[in-house]
Amino acid sequence: MNTAAPLRTLGRVALPGIRAAGALTLVLARTLRHLPHLSGRECLRSLVLYGYQSLPLTLGVGTLAGATVVLQAGIYAERFGARQYLGWAGGYAVLWEFGPLLLGLVMAGRVGARNAAELALLKTNGQLEGLRGISLDPFRYLVAPRVVASAVAITCLATLTYFVAALWETVAAYFALGLPARVFLGSFADMLRPNDVLGSLLKTAVFGTAIALVSTAAGLAAQGGARGVGRAAAAAVVFGCASIFALDFLITPLLARWLT
Amino acid sequence: MRAFVRSSGASALLFSRTVKAVRRDGLTLRALLEQLHELIGRSAFLVTLGMAFFGTVIVTIAYAQARKYTGNITLVGPAYFELMVREFGPLTVALLLASRAGASASAEQASMSVNEQIDALTLSGIDPLAYLVAPRVLACAIGLPLLTVLGTVAASLGAALTVTHSFGADGRSFIDPQFVDSGDVMCAGVKAVLCGLYIPLAASARAITAQGGAQAVGRAVTTGVVEACMGCLVIDFVVAAAFWGITR
Amino acid sequence: MELATSHLVVDFGPHRALDDVSLHFPLGSQLLLYGPSGGGKTTLLKALAGLVLPTRGQVLWNGRDRLTLSRGETRDAQAHMGMVFQTDALFDTLTVERNVALPLERKGLSAAAVEEKVANALARVGLKAAAQKRPEHLSGGMRKRAGIARALVMEPWVLFADDPLAGLDPETAAGISALLLEVSHGRTLIAAMPDPHPSLPLARTLRLTPMARDVDNRSTA
Ligand SMILES: Nc1ncnc2c1ncn2[C@@H]1O[C@H](COP(=O)(O)OP(=O)(O)OP(=O)(O)O)[C@@H](O)[C@H]1O
Ligand SMILES: [Mg+2]
Repeated sequence: MNTAAPLRTLGRVALPGIRAAGALTLVLARTLRHLPHLSGRECLRSLVLYGYQSLPLTLGVGTLAGATVVLQAGIYAERFGARQYLGWAGGYAVLWEFGPLLLGLVMAGRVGARNAAELALLKTNGQLEGLRGISLDPFRYLVAPRVVASAVAITCLATLTYFVAALWETVAAYFALGLPARVFLGSFADMLRPNDVLGSLLKTAVFGTAIALVSTAAGLAAQGGARGVGRAAAAAVVFGCASIFALDFLITPLLARWLT
Repeated sequence: MRAFVRSSGASALLFSRTVKAVRRDGLTLRALLEQLHELIGRSAFLVTLGMAFFGTVIVTIAYAQARKYTGNITLVGPAYFELMVREFGPLTVALLLASRAGASASAEQASMSVNEQIDALTLSGIDPLAYLVAPRVLACAIGLPLLTVLGTVAASLGAALTVTHSFGADGRSFIDPQFVDSGDVMCAGVKAVLCGLYIPLAASARAITAQGGAQAVGRAVTTGVVEACMGCLVIDFVVAAAFWGITR
Repeated sequence: MELATSHLVVDFGPHRALDDVSLHFPLGSQLLLYGPSGGGKTTLLKALAGLVLPTRGQVLWNGRDRLTLSRGETRDAQAHMGMVFQTDALFDTLTVERNVALPLERKGLSAAAVEEKVANALARVGLKAAAQKRPEHLSGGMRKRAGIARALVMEPWVLFADDPLAGLDPETAAGISALLLEVSHGRTLIAAMPDPHPSLPLARTLRLTPMARDVDNRSTA
């Protein structure tokens, strides 16, 4: 009795974790297996749904992130009188850390929730089973395209966000701080090397893949009608966010070491 | 942009209707405590762990910068700490709550709506706004500032530990509050309260009128989370700009 | 209590759910709404109960347009209505007993009075044993009966029953029908279901269809 109790606690904590890891691995493995022969039309449809329709949101995030960073950096610029610092802090902070993280969080909400809800609907409506009934693999036709599309969409949108953020930073620096665009971009270019940009993009690609896998697993695990769909979407968001923070923690030191 | 204006309009309308409903019907402490537990208490773990990781990451970057340009982490530390207190902390914690609490609140209320439970409340003489929306709004408005403190502390500790153990420098050099003044703290507090009010409103606005089965629930969650996140970003920027205007 | 609609039109966006419906229900009248899915049965019940707003036309409660009533008056009127919802609309987080007590919650009754009323309502539908269970642990028929108990607990003058026999075996369906008929004495009963059911013979029937609707027994009782 006494020796079993800690074991039982361990089991309660560890089992769901193991199950989740198993589900993620399964989604990843099956997607990779179907990668060479994906349905192009379904991929395109999902890309439009997840990527194209998230464009306004991405532009908004880029604008706000850029403007906020310039504002904060401006405080330092005024305090220290070092205007070159602006591009340095702005570009660096956005590109390296806040950009991927912010975008990852918003995308976990947007793409992750949508993907999970779509798959949960297909599952609870029995459409996945239906395909299997006519001996088509639902994973190949419905699931794998969505995984690929969400990962690709998030990576592309992230790239776009950087440009938008940098653009707005330039504009904001000009109007708020009277800094000519050439000076601002110059300090930007001085401080950032191609490797830094590459590192950020790599990071968002990892986040995008993680969101895709997590939300797919959450969607496929859905059970039971409206409530189940809601729960699946909520779970996709929460676990998507959690995995982003954890991955960020794991990747950043590695990237910092490799790229410098 | 138009979508955002429409959603913030819907949230503002919902807010005023909720305030009126609470004036009429009151709000029970029990419902408030339930939501504090559900939305805030259950987010605490995610916020603490996430922000501790975040602090580690931030300081890794700060350290890389410091080595490259100034050679000394103690120079960059205080500036980053101020950024953490007034910018990174409030915004990141708000986004985490928008994801965690926004998603669960909109999922729950949307499934209540499609299951006709909201109609059942109305017909029972219970105002859904006072019964469902108000406790969530109040819980988040109270809870987000607390979570922000928790998250900022976790991030700072994570950062300090990283400095001490990975970089072999004095960890206290990062949590040096020499630049942090009352303005920074107020700025963070205002952001937290406003985001706390906005998140449950954005999550509920679409959810409590959701109609048409599982599909509607999925849609309500997706739009609810995104609108909550966007709202937090906008609030963050507006408050930052206002404080910048005041303090310059 | 007397209910009526006058040239009632309900639109959901571009979609018209109800088109020019005029009906009259004095206290004690009965109506069975039937017709295919999407015909507007639920919409009509909810419009009568004040849960769906008319796009045009009027819903009249005791002769007064419900849109002109104050919030307090609306609530007082709704206190005399009970509805058995199509989806049960029970709260899975509350016990059956607390679900049934919901309409009594804001009425300023003593705890003992609430308990007695809830016990009576549960006894009437034969659910006394399940009072402490949560709805998710009940069978479909038991959930329906719990919904009926909640609709009855306020002793309403008007009882709406939206698809009360859905998904039930013939025996349980007959039991629920008998229960509805028994409690409808002295009340207005308005029920909706896909097809008229022999076990629930109501005085009037009205067929609602998605496209065109033909009304038999148009005579307003
Ligand atoms: N809240 C709503 N928003 C948009 N459309 C709605 C809403 N409620 C009902 N409708 C639409 O109005 C029409 C009538 O719906 P209603 O639920 O009244 O049908 P019903 O007769 O109850 O069908 P069923 O037998 O399937 O319950 C349907 O086409 C439905 O899609
Ligand atoms: Mg119906």
